[in-house]
Amino acid sequence: MSLLISYDSSFDGFLSAVFEIYRQRLDVGDFLPERPYDPESSATFDLFLQPFHVETNMESARRLRRAVVNMAGEDVLNLLETAFRSEERGVEMKILAFLRELFSGTDPNYARNPTSTEMLPLFMLARAVRHESGGMLGLVRFNKAPDGSYIAEIEPKYDILEMIVGHFRGRFPNGRWAIVDVKRCYGAFYDGRHTEFLDLPDTATVSKTIAENAPPDDFTRMWKSYYDTMAIKERLNPRLLRRCLPVRYWKHLHERQDYVQPK
Amino acid sequence: MDLREKLNILGDAAKYDVSCSSSGSSRGAPKGGLGSGCSAGICHTWSADGRCISLLKVLFSNACKYDCAYCINRRSNDIPRATFTPKELIDLTLEFYRRNYIEGLFLSSAVVGSPDNTMEKLVYVAKELRTVHRFGGYIHLKAIPGASSRLLYEAGLYADRSSVNVEIPSDRQLQYLAPEKNYESIFRPMNFLAERKLEYSAGKHSRYTPKFLPAGQSTQMIVGASGESDLQILRLSAGFYNQQRMKRVYFSGYIPVNADKRLPALTTKPPLLREHRLYQADWLMRFYHFGHEEILDESNPNLDPDLDPKAMWALRHPEFFPIDLQTADYEMILRVPGIGVKSAQLIVSGRRFCKIRLEQLKKMGVVLKRAKYFVYNPDVPANLRRLYPEMLRPLLIARPKPAQLDFFSQLQMPALPAPAPYKPAIQALPAPAPLSSAG
Repeated sequence: MSLLISYDSSFDGFLSAVFEIYRQRLDVGDFLPERPYDPESSATFDLFLQPFHVETNMESARRLRRAVVNMAGEDVLNLLETAFRSEERGVEMKILAFLRELFSGTDPNYARNPTSTEMLPLFMLARAVRHESGGMLGLVRFNKAPDGSYIAEIEPKYDILEMIVGHFRGRFPNGRWAIVDVKRCYGAFYDGRHTEFLDLPDTATVSKTIAENAPPDDFTRMWKSYYDTMAIKERLNPRLLRRCLPVRYWKHLHERQDYVQPK
Repeated sequence: MDLREKLNILGDAAKYDVSCSSSGSSRGAPKGGLGSGCSAGICHTWSADGRCISLLKVLFSNACKYDCAYCINRRSNDIPRATFTPKELIDLTLEFYRRNYIEGLFLSSAVVGSPDNTMEKLVYVAKELRTVHRFGGYIHLKAIPGASSRLLYEAGLYADRSSVNVEIPSDRQLQYLAPEKNYESIFRPMNFLAERKLEYSAGKHSRYTPKFLPAGQSTQMIVGASGESDLQILRLSAGFYNQQRMKRVYFSGYIPVNADKRLPALTTKPPLLREHRLYQADWLMRFYHFGHEEILDESNPNLDPDLDPKAMWALRHPEFFPIDLQTADYEMILRVPGIGVKSAQLIVSGRRFCKIRLEQLKKMGVVLKRAKYFVYNPDVPANLRRLYPEMLRPLLIARPKPAQLDFFSQLQMPALPAPAPYKPAIQALPAPAPLSSAG
């Protein structure tokens, strides 16, 4: 019977699982990431797969990272990690298929071909993740808290918070700010020197605390009215707007919040 | 007048400027300051018309002394006027920037007093931001035609990008519509900045040398207000790219804002499709290695509204197609309709290792609907491996979606016959274009 391998949903956890698959020659049916903010994910039950849990082991993850770098290079490891951030269903099996082919060593140029059957889906997935993380740089909206720090809520489709934090550290090196991923319940907190990633309680509590501590103020309202004057009436183009700025982002953008249709 | 009201008036007056880009400048936050430049540019939001907003685009003042027919801020219009104080504008920029609403400041102005007077104010704001507040974000400054070279040079030291708008693609039309302006007054600041930038790039610098316009220059012209053909417009913009080394040339479909007998009527719809086609042609010149003379020539002076310029070129040149993706040059792959820059790069890097087939192209995001007619596919019988433009053209044109007949619209036809068409007394000159700031 194939195994349903559960792991702690981190990339290191996934690498540890792959390491165990090779070490114990496990027969993998599928992977199951256990996401603490999404209890349903770990409750999934599959009649035809036998559950098997792998603990995260930093040492084996490090060894596997090194093996990938040796075989394929730093870029490919980066690409795998970026594709993994998509958290898309089935991405683990795609990465595993790629690693199997890579480690089989049949084609010495395998890692350099982005159009191979196993690589192309990962390549396109990583492109989508990078695209969102690039777009998100402009869509973070900070509110000012009374103590002078700035706080923002984001709800990206992919897990990209770690990818965008460096940009904000370079841009606001002297301020204190925080960016919270309300969907995945963790946030990056910058105190003027260091960034720290902290897990937070559930989504509703997080949003409520932020709304109470950093409510919209005059600048928020000025921004909104400025935004509304910038549209040229003769050129209104709702389709183009939705293509450039998908509706799923509107919830956290002050200037578009009023246009969100209640579900 | 409170700040919010001023912001609305001066933002409203600036919105017809098309330029929104924040790209081309890479810099870290200055020591003790805030703000950085991202060379790819960052869009912060999109307005309801689908245009991106990345900079705080405002006029310093809209009390203009000029009377250009196409401009909403002209002297003879009865609109509310406002002027920022430098402090208000700086505080607003910094506070918006800290909240990540904007990528920087786009500052233009109507001409108040003299051009030098106006330019001095713009430069003052940029200088305060850069030196006192150590602001590292993006600054786009309009160069005011007629300003002195000293001020223009200073603007180049503090701004990332500068622009002077041509507005009307021919000198004669411009002088007709904007009696205070002519090409000489517009090209002088443009060329001055282009030459200083060229001098700067030719010299040797340490990392402490202040940069000069790191993101270069751009300009804008109005489409559909005066009678120029697409060929004239593309030729002019190709000239800007080659001679003034412009980073961007923007097109703005004419939106009637003023009732003026020199201009198209107020009910004219903006020529959005034409503007779109011109941008497509512009992209071909900037990213696809096309020359403007390949896109249009004297016998075809206008772009085809039904087909994009790349498909139009491909159908005029059946001798190049179909191409074999396995062996064709990168430049040739770029010319296949439906294949973009990213897909072309992916094809070139992948074909060394394996055959590129149609199903792979599909996964790469190539638009097979168009591309399949132009690439060699081993599954196609040999007698069909030739391109027949006359057969292909109808296949490439998007057919209108079938719509249900509407009986009621017929009933609303006027009962009386339509009046004879109105003929304007002066027909010699076509009318120019829309609004835009005085810059």
